[in-house]
Amino acid sequence: MNPESKDYHIRQIRLENMLPEVFVNEHVPHSDIWQTDRVFDRGRHYLVEAPSGGGKSSLMAYIYGNRTDYRGKLSFNGRDTRSLSMGIWQMLRRRHIAYLPQELDLFPELTCIENIRLKNDLTGHVPPARIDEWLERLGIDFRRDTPAGRMSIGQQQRLAIIRALCMPFDFILLDEPVSHLDAANNRIAADIIDEEAARQGAGVISTSVGNPLLLHSAISIKL
Amino acid sequence: MNLVYKLLQKNISPSRFVGFLVSNFIGLAIIGAGLQFWLDARSIWSREDSFLKSDYLAINKVIDASRTIGGGTTEFSAEEIADIEHQAWVKRVGEFRRADFNVHASVALDGGTGRQMSTAMFFESVPEGFLDVDRNSFSWQEGDEEVPIIISKDYLALYNFGFAGAAGLPRLSESLVSGIPLRLTLVSEDGSRRIQMLGRVAGYSNRFNTILVPRTFLDTMNIRLGSNGGRVTPGPDSATAAPSRLIVDVSSPGDAAIAPYLKERGWEVAGDKSASGAAYLLKVVAGTVMAVGVMITLLSALILTLSLSLLMERNRRKLHSLLMLGFPVKTVAKPYWRVTALSGVLAGALAYGTLLLLRSTYIHPLEGLGATPGTTLWSLLIILLLTIIIILLNCVAVTRRVRAAWR
Repeated sequence: MNPESKDYHIRQIRLENMLPEVFVNEHVPHSDIWQTDRVFDRGRHYLVEAPSGGGKSSLMAYIYGNRTDYRGKLSFNGRDTRSLSMGIWQMLRRRHIAYLPQELDLFPELTCIENIRLKNDLTGHVPPARIDEWLERLGIDFRRDTPAGRMSIGQQQRLAIIRALCMPFDFILLDEPVSHLDAANNRIAADIIDEEAARQGAGVISTSVGNPLLLHSAISIKL
Repeated sequence: MNLVYKLLQKNISPSRFVGFLVSNFIGLAIIGAGLQFWLDARSIWSREDSFLKSDYLAINKVIDASRTIGGGTTEFSAEEIADIEHQAWVKRVGEFRRADFNVHASVALDGGTGRQMSTAMFFESVPEGFLDVDRNSFSWQEGDEEVPIIISKDYLALYNFGFAGAAGLPRLSESLVSGIPLRLTLVSEDGSRRIQMLGRVAGYSNRFNTILVPRTFLDTMNIRLGSNGGRVTPGPDSATAAPSRLIVDVSSPGDAAIAPYLKERGWEVAGDKSASGAAYLLKVVAGTVMAVGVMITLLSALILTLSLSLLMERNRRKLHSLLMLGFPVKTVAKPYWRVTALSGVLAGALAYGTLLLLRSTYIHPLEGLGATPGTTLWSLLIILLLTIIIILLNCVAVTRRVRAAWR
């Protein structure tokens, strides 16, 4: 189906014999993802565990269309992602794939709520009341009007999680989403993500180097 | 306020914006003013006789001592005429034909008292196609008692400002003179034959120093009064047919090739001698001014492109982050498009305003010099066009920069 059509969904992300270019002449230890046939299905939860330097951020960037420095084939519903135009990628990033990068990519000069609104105004997806509820549950509602650059790294991470959820999605990619959160906040974040993914019937792909997101019934994958 | 604007406008420096605005404005103002001045002033040099297109030149050989004393001819040979005809700037060549008889003209100064003024005159004619006149007002047929005459404006000026003042005679306006019938007496060389006619001044020329009558009239009278039996058909054996002046229809009187060609042969353009030279000079000056304007405009466009590039390079991370959030390229580029368009339009409007202001200072003196001011529409269009081109080019550059920040 044409990705631009209204009821298009990414049902399946498939990685065939993929390998980051930088690994090509190196010894690659056994992996559930590289140099194998790996499928991510919509509606399922995946926890990608990896040692640092294992290429998990690369994996996220490949799926998000941000980088193409890999061997092998990556496809959505069977369509090679290398064939997608910039315009289609931008559309996918508004309607089908949510992404929380490891470096968060917030705008430090905008306030907490402005960072969220920047995305939510673009997609018009989440009602303001729900955003307020999330801010409250994650305990950063009092930072609402604080410039993001002046929030602590843990607070920024919670803000970035909310922003990532402000769109319709078939998959949400979370790159070490709770690396700076305590267990309680990890629990809350996992609940919110669970709820939102369930509401949309979406898949979750979350990476970690040891502090995994506490998702329910997640499939564990070793990178 | 749109958050994308808030985010991106933070780094747009006002001083750079003003810098571009000023340089772009100066460039456009120079182009516009150069063009406008040329449009307004060119009528002074290309002023047309009412009956003569401006692209006609009357050419004669310069009369100097060697030609007067040494017997050099002032007439154009058939070869010389053929040579002119082959020049690229020439559309066609006609010859002035002289009367082969004497002319006396007299004017009754005060009705019935008999006081009159008389003078010796001469007639010439040019081929009919060269005069852009109403056939009815400048034509003569066998049986007509009155012949229309076109005289040089200088003759009337000479009379009014030289002769009339000194002799205590009234000054005459062009229309007044046109109303006075001239009594013409045409006498053959040997005085044996004479014909009485009436003449009427039908027009004035400031390009030809001569007195023109219709060719049909001249030919008829040459036959009746001419010393060589009316042999008026031009030919290599006919001395009287060799013209000493040529009328040339040129593609452009300001053509740069004309002056050197004539100078090399010792010929000159009669009448308004400054016409081609000054028109050429005006073109060169206006062209230079406009070229400088174009250069400045191009440079200012380059400044804008470079400063936009610099700005966007500095904002590259922000642009990238916005694209990562899924913003369409268009949305991200829009704030920059707006800056480009705003400064472009402002510069264009300021340039046009300045042009009008400049024009108001020179237009009255210029009208005093006899210019018919041109329209300001063309400079408006040119400024508009350049503004649009500059804006479009920069918008394209901006879009490319945004796309480059994608990965």
